[in-house]
Amino acid sequence: MTPARPLDGIRVADFTWVWAGPFCTLQLAHLGAEVIRVESAARPCVTRMLPPWPDGQPGLNRSGYFNQYNQGKLSLTLDLKQPEAVAVAKDLVARSDIVCENFAAGVMDRMGLGYAVLREIKPEIIMIALSGYGNSGPEREFVSYGPAQVPLSGMSSLTGYPNWPPMHVGISYGDPTGGLHGAFAVLAALWHRQRTGRGQFIDLSQQETTIAVLPEGVVEFAMNGTQPARDGNRDHGMAPHGIFRCEGDQRWIAISVRDDSEWQRFARAIGRPDLADDPSLRTLAGRKANEDRLEAIVTEWTGARSTDAATELLQRAGVPAFGVCNSQELAEDPQLNASGLFVCLDHPEVGRRQHVGIPWRMSDTPCTVRQPAPCLGQHTDQVLRDVLGYSIEKITRLKAELVVH
Amino acid sequence: MVAAAYATKLMADLGADVVKVEPPGAGDRARTRGPFPGGMPHAEKSGLFLYLNTNKRGVTLNLDEARGRELLGRMAADADLIVHNFTPPEMRRFGIDFATLRQRNPGLVLASITPFGLDGPYRDYEATDLTLWSAGGLAALNGGGPGSDDLPPLKAFGQQAEFQGGLNAAVAGLAAVFARLRSGTGQHVSIPIRECLTAIMELAFEYYPYMGLIASRLGQKPIQPLDFLECRDGWIFLCCVEEHQWQTWVDIMGQPEWASLELFENRLTRAANWDALKLFLQEWTQERSVDELYRAGQARRVPLAPVSTMADLLASDHLKSRGFFAVLEHPAAGRVTVPGAPYQFAATPWAIRRPAPLLGQHNEEFFGGHLGVSVDDLAGLHRDGVV
Repeated sequence: MTPARPLDGIRVADFTWVWAGPFCTLQLAHLGAEVIRVESAARPCVTRMLPPWPDGQPGLNRSGYFNQYNQGKLSLTLDLKQPEAVAVAKDLVARSDIVCENFAAGVMDRMGLGYAVLREIKPEIIMIALSGYGNSGPEREFVSYGPAQVPLSGMSSLTGYPNWPPMHVGISYGDPTGGLHGAFAVLAALWHRQRTGRGQFIDLSQQETTIAVLPEGVVEFAMNGTQPARDGNRDHGMAPHGIFRCEGDQRWIAISVRDDSEWQRFARAIGRPDLADDPSLRTLAGRKANEDRLEAIVTEWTGARSTDAATELLQRAGVPAFGVCNSQELAEDPQLNASGLFVCLDHPEVGRRQHVGIPWRMSDTPCTVRQPAPCLGQHTDQVLRDVLGYSIEKITRLKAELVVH
Repeated sequence: MVAAAYATKLMADLGADVVKVEPPGAGDRARTRGPFPGGMPHAEKSGLFLYLNTNKRGVTLNLDEARGRELLGRMAADADLIVHNFTPPEMRRFGIDFATLRQRNPGLVLASITPFGLDGPYRDYEATDLTLWSAGGLAALNGGGPGSDDLPPLKAFGQQAEFQGGLNAAVAGLAAVFARLRSGTGQHVSIPIRECLTAIMELAFEYYPYMGLIASRLGQKPIQPLDFLECRDGWIFLCCVEEHQWQTWVDIMGQPEWASLELFENRLTRAANWDALKLFLQEWTQERSVDELYRAGQARRVPLAPVSTMADLLASDHLKSRGFFAVLEHPAAGRVTVPGAPYQFAATPWAIRRPAPLLGQHNEEFFGGHLGVSVDDLAGLHRDGVV
């Protein structure tokens, strides 16, 4: 018998879209929950309309973005502008353990699907609302887009090259960070429900979950009234500490020398025992004071080597180093391919494509991605019949009246 | 330092009884990282440590000593979960072996956060936050920009690789404890930080399997405005990815003549001509304040955001009204303001019940009171540097 996955038997009514909410329910799907996405054909998830698409040909079921973050979920289409569709959604909630949504504050209430209503339908329901600003406070109804969360949360004011403008971090970092905090919160609420039989409402603000991972910045200001200056890839407690150019076009390696003994090994590994013996570089304080010179020396060494050769040599000396990997290198990486990270399942419209699956492993209740991301409405019939117990006649009528759409 | 500590902080802040184990002497490395009051390093005053270890009890244990490893085994005997971020070589050295620990307690969940996993060619590689951010694929997505190809890929502020590892460990670790309700047995959960990062590359990774393209941090963005603009007193991040948002913004600016230039007629041409457009925009924003533009934009549903400084966050009326920041009362560091509840539970409130522990603060209470080590034995362990 296949061992039960942690969330086998748990059903999630998933009203999320874009990235933060779907990333939260992706974790629950990974853990074995049955996640039913409630989607709208009139207003499909934003990521269904974003690239990449095979051959550059758009299509609601062809986006790599959507297909990456909705693996293992089911799709039910409902036109929630119609009262009867709202009634179907309530039937789904009545048969679910968890409701997850990431609209701006107030949207679910206006659709008639707020927590106060859902709690009447199912008192032990756990509902999580992931919004940009949270469910209370003067800015709760502000518009929040993923890319803008990074500056809003303070991350951009801390990230960047010295004496440069604030910078982004390359992804809408508040989305996965909010999504993971949300998944943890849901598990904690399930644990509580298990013991007490009681559900609850969880209000998650992406802004707050992102500030939660910036304690060094917040506490520096709270303690000393100063803000850490943007300092590129440098670190106040380690030197050298940076990303250095290697041989080839746009090839880079990250190197961190964590302490004075590591510095000794590093200097010898790069064939510079003279530096190891240089008293001005023996301590962290000395290396920080001479960091420009130090980085020039490191660049001279890395610049004449491939990332692989430099990585191997430094790792052999016990010094943290690794190349800056791009998506092709990740896709072809021997370790990632052997570890079980990647998933290639047959998808009706994009075929077998490599997706990033579950980044952790459980020894006794192995979790796998069971199916590719759903096509829009792919499981409408299945959910209405098997989960909600609707008759064929009722399903036919709901379709004819475009309630299910 | 950060990853395991954050995973268990999330649990401790919701009521779990978390016992933090540190090496005697220097303690956790986070104690050396600061920030410190007045910039003066002090093992009991590091802001990072104080934040990451709220609501935990603290003990010291030298795992290089056989008696230290034996005490760890006794701790494992009645724990639900052990979370650590030792590397595989350190796991071998410290005897963190699941098969052995499991004999002590069949219900134990062991969550191992490692840089590259428990197996494979990079298993024993040394790593830091920076090298993992690079190995996981995120460094390649940020830094440089048009005309600045010579600048290196740029890491995000802080210890984000570790935080991501910690978040995944919290999710998978708690789920494994949940699974035990049904199975009755624990298990070993492996959380490789590098893989947690590859999992959050947004749409960048899929460009390769879907289109054979490699997402690059260099060159112009495909659509604009989606960029930082300087104001009189700081910066805003202008986000007008939809046509109606741009038109609204043009209206807020008072319909300047240049906005109707063909060069800027849609989001693609606005991106292609961003250098010019940014000059026009900034000429206008530089005469206005961040707050004024933020309010004006949001009032008309333009999703722009201020580039918040730490001062802005701590002064934010919105965050204040949500009661976000928390204040610790710590015996050595005094009152310290830290980020508070990352989510608000209606029925089981997040709360700070005790500040981070002093080094070894609960040795007697825990080893003596809980594990039943006698006063004499504990004195011996203390004398020999085991605790």
